[in-house]
Amino acid sequence: MIRLENVSKVYKDSVVALRDVSADIQKEEFVFLVGPSGSGKSTFMRLLLKEDEPSEGKIYVAGKDIGQLPNWRVPYLRRNIGCVFQDFKLLTNKTVRENVAFALEVIGRPRHVILERVPEMLDLVGLSHKLESRPDELSGGEQQRVSVARAMVNRPPILLADEPTGNLDPATSAEIMKLLERINESGTTVVMATHDHAIVDQSRKRVIELENGKIVRDQARGVYGMGGS
Amino acid sequence: MALRLGYFIGETTTNLRRNLLLTIAAISTAALSLMLLGLVMVGGEVLKKAVGSWEGKVELNVFLRDEITPEQTKELGAAVSSMPEVQTVFYESKTEAYEEYKRMFKESPALIENVDPEALPASYRIKLKNPNTAEAVSTRLEGRPGVDDVQFGGEAVKRFLRFANLMKTMVMVVTAILMAATTLLIANTIRLAVYARRKEIGIMKLVGATNWFIRVPFILEGVAEAAVGAAVATGMLTGAKFLLLDNAQKEFPFLPVTVGVDVLLQVFLVLLAVGVVIGTLGSFLALRRFLEV
Repeated sequence: MIRLENVSKVYKDSVVALRDVSADIQKEEFVFLVGPSGSGKSTFMRLLLKEDEPSEGKIYVAGKDIGQLPNWRVPYLRRNIGCVFQDFKLLTNKTVRENVAFALEVIGRPRHVILERVPEMLDLVGLSHKLESRPDELSGGEQQRVSVARAMVNRPPILLADEPTGNLDPATSAEIMKLLERINESGTTVVMATHDHAIVDQSRKRVIELENGKIVRDQARGVYGMGGS
Repeated sequence: MALRLGYFIGETTTNLRRNLLLTIAAISTAALSLMLLGLVMVGGEVLKKAVGSWEGKVELNVFLRDEITPEQTKELGAAVSSMPEVQTVFYESKTEAYEEYKRMFKESPALIENVDPEALPASYRIKLKNPNTAEAVSTRLEGRPGVDDVQFGGEAVKRFLRFANLMKTMVMVVTAILMAATTLLIANTIRLAVYARRKEIGIMKLVGATNWFIRVPFILEGVAEAAVGAAVATGMLTGAKFLLLDNAQKEFPFLPVTVGVDVLLQVFLVLLAVGVVIGTLGSFLALRRFLEV
């Protein structure tokens, strides 16, 4: 589903963000991307979304070399990748329902699809009782559920989650994690960048560890740190 | 498609309202610059008509001295009619001149009273085949016995046209400057609207909205501002026609300054087109920098 071949990314001021990274993520896999701040996790995610171009190497998403993708096709690439962030990125002037519907509206989905899918998706994340609430009336966990619903409402085959539990307490984090696992089980490839040791250790999923832009570990059923820190 | 249209219109109106003051500023500059452009157009139309009506009337007036003898008058008349450039010629006696004068100013009795019937000179009125020969013909006639003065309208028309062209150029320069200012102001309102919505735009890009989908509401905003400006400008021109021009026409009926509603409609369409171009240009200027993926 996602393949990186010898990908390097050097920023203009010759800061090396990724060095010769190769990885192959299968369809329906769940992968943790771990490593300290500045290790290249965010660059990894940005490259998958084609928000940035790699300096070297090739990236394939859903079998396509995204380096060959013309700019005008990039939005269509992104429709295949749902995104969830640490800070939720919800629109505070819209209700929960409107926030989720927005993702479909702006890609020109017809009204009947929106009317059908939005409640369905919010039901799936357990928020059907908060359709008309605004994000600032919700707890952090609930806000993250909305953002997951928004990422998934278009049914993308891939979900990228960048520190989705970074702002949440452990109990809420565990709930979000459960939600992501359920999404993964229903057939979505999930890549989750995280600092959260507990979650990684508990889930026992594939772990790709980055350090200074290099993959230092790629382990099936891994834990957060080799040293057990 | 219905949903998209509704979406675009909704977004555009929200944007316009969000920065009401700036929107008003953009619309007023648009209106001002477009009104000047409209003025140039209307002015050109009036001028064309006026010049047209004058050109048909380019006439040589050969004024005769009071002491001219009837023989000299006859001789002059024969000489004039034998000139190849002359189309028609007729003699206007002192009394006829006075009658003509009375007819011209029949609404201003004061002007008539002040003129002695004997004060107006007799003249030959010459119509030329080609108005451009007026100068040559007049020099040939000027030295002849009994001729006091030869006048023709051509020189005045030419001078007036030169002046009008100068005015037109000046107004066009001001218009161009104002249009540039309008474009920049519209660009600025759009930039602010974009800034106000940067979060939404970020999300739109993330979920895969196309650039055009993101741009359209902003472009519509610029176009709407300029279009409203064009409507206001036309409104002001129409007001000016009915309040100023039509009244002036009543006061000075001999001025050929009529502007029809058809001309105003034409002007409106042109202003609207120019407005749309300016609005689009301003929007693109604002959107150029961001919104590459």
